[in-house]
Amino acid sequence: MITVTINGKEIKLEKPVTVLEAARSAGIKIPTLCYHEQLEKYGGCRLCLVEVEKMPRLQTACTLMAADGMVVRTETEAIADVRRGVLEFLLINHPLDCPYCDKAGECELQDLVEKYGPTTGRFKEKKRKAPESLEDPVLVRNMERCVVCTRCVRMCEGVQGAAAIGVINRGGHSHVEPFSGGRFECEYCGNCVSACPVGAIMSRLHRHSYRPWQLVSETETICPYCGVGCTLVAQVRDDVIKRVVPRIGTPVNNGLLCSRGRFGYEFVGSKERLTTPLIKKNGVLEQSTWEEAIGFVARRLGELKTRYGGDAIAGIASPRCTNEDNYVFQKFMRVALGTNNIDSTARTGYAGAQAFIENIFGQGATANLIPGLANADAVLIAGGDPTAVNPILGLQIRSCARKGGNILTIGHVKGVRHYNPAELKPNVHTEAALLEGVVTALKEKKGLPGSIQTLESKIKEIHRPLDDAARTCGVTEKDLAAFVEALSTASTPALVIGKEVIQSAGGSYNLLLLSAVAYLVNARIHLLSERANEQGVVDMGCAPDLLPGCRPLSYVEFRRRYEAAWKSPIPEKQGMTIFDMIDAAKAGSLRALYVMGENPVFNLPNAKGVEAALRGLELLVVQDIFMTETARMADVVFPALSWAEREGTFTNMERRLQLLRKAVNREGMEDWRIVVEVAGNMGVRMHFSSAEDIFAEITRVSPLHRDLSYEELEKSGIYPYKGEPLRGVTGDIAVAKPAAGDGGGLFLGIERPLFHSGTLSRRAPGLVKIYETAVARISPATAAARSLKEGDMVRVSSVIGYLELPVAVDFAVRDALVMITNNFEGRGALSLMELVLDPVLRAPVADKTAVTIEKAGR
Amino acid sequence: MFSEAAVREIQEIRAKYPTARAALLPAIYVAQREFGWLTPEAYEAVSDLLGVPRAIARGVGTFYAMYRQKPMGRHVVQLCTNVSCMILGAERLVDFLKSRFGLEPGGTTQDGRFSLVIMECIGACGTAPAMLVNDDFYENLTEKSIEEILGKYR
Repeated sequence: MITVTINGKEIKLEKPVTVLEAARSAGIKIPTLCYHEQLEKYGGCRLCLVEVEKMPRLQTACTLMAADGMVVRTETEAIADVRRGVLEFLLINHPLDCPYCDKAGECELQDLVEKYGPTTGRFKEKKRKAPESLEDPVLVRNMERCVVCTRCVRMCEGVQGAAAIGVINRGGHSHVEPFSGGRFECEYCGNCVSACPVGAIMSRLHRHSYRPWQLVSETETICPYCGVGCTLVAQVRDDVIKRVVPRIGTPVNNGLLCSRGRFGYEFVGSKERLTTPLIKKNGVLEQSTWEEAIGFVARRLGELKTRYGGDAIAGIASPRCTNEDNYVFQKFMRVALGTNNIDSTARTGYAGAQAFIENIFGQGATANLIPGLANADAVLIAGGDPTAVNPILGLQIRSCARKGGNILTIGHVKGVRHYNPAELKPNVHTEAALLEGVVTALKEKKGLPGSIQTLESKIKEIHRPLDDAARTCGVTEKDLAAFVEALSTASTPALVIGKEVIQSAGGSYNLLLLSAVAYLVNARIHLLSERANEQGVVDMGCAPDLLPGCRPLSYVEFRRRYEAAWKSPIPEKQGMTIFDMIDAAKAGSLRALYVMGENPVFNLPNAKGVEAALRGLELLVVQDIFMTETARMADVVFPALSWAEREGTFTNMERRLQLLRKAVNREGMEDWRIVVEVAGNMGVRMHFSSAEDIFAEITRVSPLHRDLSYEELEKSGIYPYKGEPLRGVTGDIAVAKPAAGDGGGLFLGIERPLFHSGTLSRRAPGLVKIYETAVARISPATAAARSLKEGDMVRVSSVIGYLELPVAVDFAVRDALVMITNNFEGRGALSLMELVLDPVLRAPVADKTAVTIEKAGR
Repeated sequence: MFSEAAVREIQEIRAKYPTARAALLPAIYVAQREFGWLTPEAYEAVSDLLGVPRAIARGVGTFYAMYRQKPMGRHVVQLCTNVSCMILGAERLVDFLKSRFGLEPGGTTQDGRFSLVIMECIGACGTAPAMLVNDDFYENLTEKSIEEILGKYR
């Protein structure tokens, strides 16, 4: 126990901390500028100077460790003098432009000067001038206001790991700049904005549109973009979200955000939002009323159900909608329409992969804490760049590397390239052979643990010596052996699985091999998730074979229990997957499709084929916040409320349940309420008046969510679930091995950029300004072989169609791939992709579409 | 892009230091020699080769006065005008360089032959005035000797 006396107050400390931390723990304020609790100590601003008895000079409280018996004074006349002097120096070059600085009111320098003076400066010299830099689309840099505390630089390098900005020049000329001197060209996390104590780096999104004291409310809610589920604070004025900031202490992101979370909120206030229900009349969508549209949908669904039976109708739920929306929607499909035809785009990878892994290890196998990754001693990354797909999870991997953990990657992972990763870059379509080699070697090194027999019997069948694996994949045996060694000696390894491996040819076999690796080295598994509620949509039973809580429909005793709770029979027959629905629509056996918050015409492979299939439907109903490609084809479009306008819960990839809170008001209905109204018009009463009501039913019905309440979620969400995970329902492990490789040629790859997410980010001007348009991303070798250079217009063609795009040459792209995003209207990668499904995962195979690339005709 | 020899040189430099960042100063010198001055490409080349982020490399390079932050002539004259040199006539030499060669402090001759940098003490107070031309050291300078010395640099 350490005892220090600060300003006459005795403070007892459990563990060694600095004098500053000790003072703060006792509620004593010491002024600081360069100190930031998430950053390394710096001791640069000299504002935290304090008197310590028996020490000759004033000491910086932020760097001085509190020692037993220390007597400290933080506010004396001498200290105040020094602080006044320091501030006078800081103001030498400061423009004193508080009246139009956006930071005024929450500026740490302003507050300090107000408290300690000086009221006038004695320096007569001219101030250093630097024009405000507006070269960047989302960040504005004003170096006249900069006090060179380096918080932004330390944040960028030490926490974000991007090191995109640095202090340049020396002495009075020092200031902060990105490498280019103009555009930041960085990861645009904006964490430098959070770190800046003054108005030197700020967001342009809300420039000059409010003063901090004019914000009328702050709402803590969950980010709508990816599956990490960061807590963000939406600051609102006039029912418009003016700014989104993080908060230190939140469970997943702890004071950090990524580009999407911080700069992607403007879609909420977009003028393109749908405002009234639309009904197609004579081929044109016309404005209608809620009453008419709901009545029309209810009547048509009733007619079609009577004529063709419930199984001629299907529903697509949404990984962007809340658990409450999805629960109500699947209940509507099962109870009101009498069909299990309900699925979501989680089917394109996440759902199948998770089911596969849980079938081996049990439910909850992928529900691992994201911050825990930082404490792993090795992280194996397979199938994508976590720093782009799930950026905040990516930061934990970087943090792991900084603490000395090994980063192992299969393929080049751009976001960790500065962290000395052990990279294995197998030839295209040879990942399975590589993993077979790894599993064989690990099996010999570690032996079989003997706990999961189904998996061990599969592992016993795997045999590929390292030299053979290395030869087949085009990697060196030395690298491969070192890779295996690093894995086998790790004591707390983690495995991060991305969609590229799930959607590879032989995805189920690759997942089996990765599961085997995880089993042999006892690694925790993290499954990357691109949508905020991808886990939730599955957990709510929006799947043709699962009931809420992921209980299999095929188990009659489960079904009986749900039937009793819902007071309605549940059809026994398994429903259609999202891909079955498209096939059935094409074949004519599906007559109606109800889409809630999804855009299958853009987000499923072979867009034209999906579009043609949907054209044959007798009824297409779409609920969305924007006029999407799918909504344009609909017979009825319902405008829904967006994420910021309602309550509900999201389940993140850790299976943490978190509460969404209403930040802004808007007229209209939540997705669930529209569904409840339609059901009511069909004579099926669902007695819900709020999201909380629905959640209460979920916790009664789903064993996984048992005994939870909004009240408990209020604090920081719930992890882990208190409910009962499903164990012991493991069957045989079915896998489908990939066919032999196709040799040379180019294949289509899906680029998953840090700055976009599905089709939502298109409506966020901040993100569009950062990443403006679709490109065909190719390797320098591919470009050289075809005499293509950056910016050339090319035609990328597959058997399905073609796209004309500008070329971007990128060293991080594999030679065999042409990478295209699936975010921009009319230019989505999936529009070129053939639909081939993995027979086990029932997810599309995304790496087998052969493409050609040539200069576009002029 | 670096020449192969420069790449080897930087790799040898790197091997002498425990961390990549420690090798930045000598590596930036090599880049300055290769590119003539510290162009954005020079920083990029150093950064890629050492695996140090670009913004950091530039931050280090811009801190030190002896790195060239702008294009310079083929030969760089670094003349001291600090106390000893000043007392012994360095300021006359500055005027001479201006009138004879058209060389202003901080400037470059029209033909790109010389650049002049005014230095603060190069440790030759006993033999002042003194200057450096590129890496060569000259002392006890007079107007006559400067003319002769610079005549050797084409």
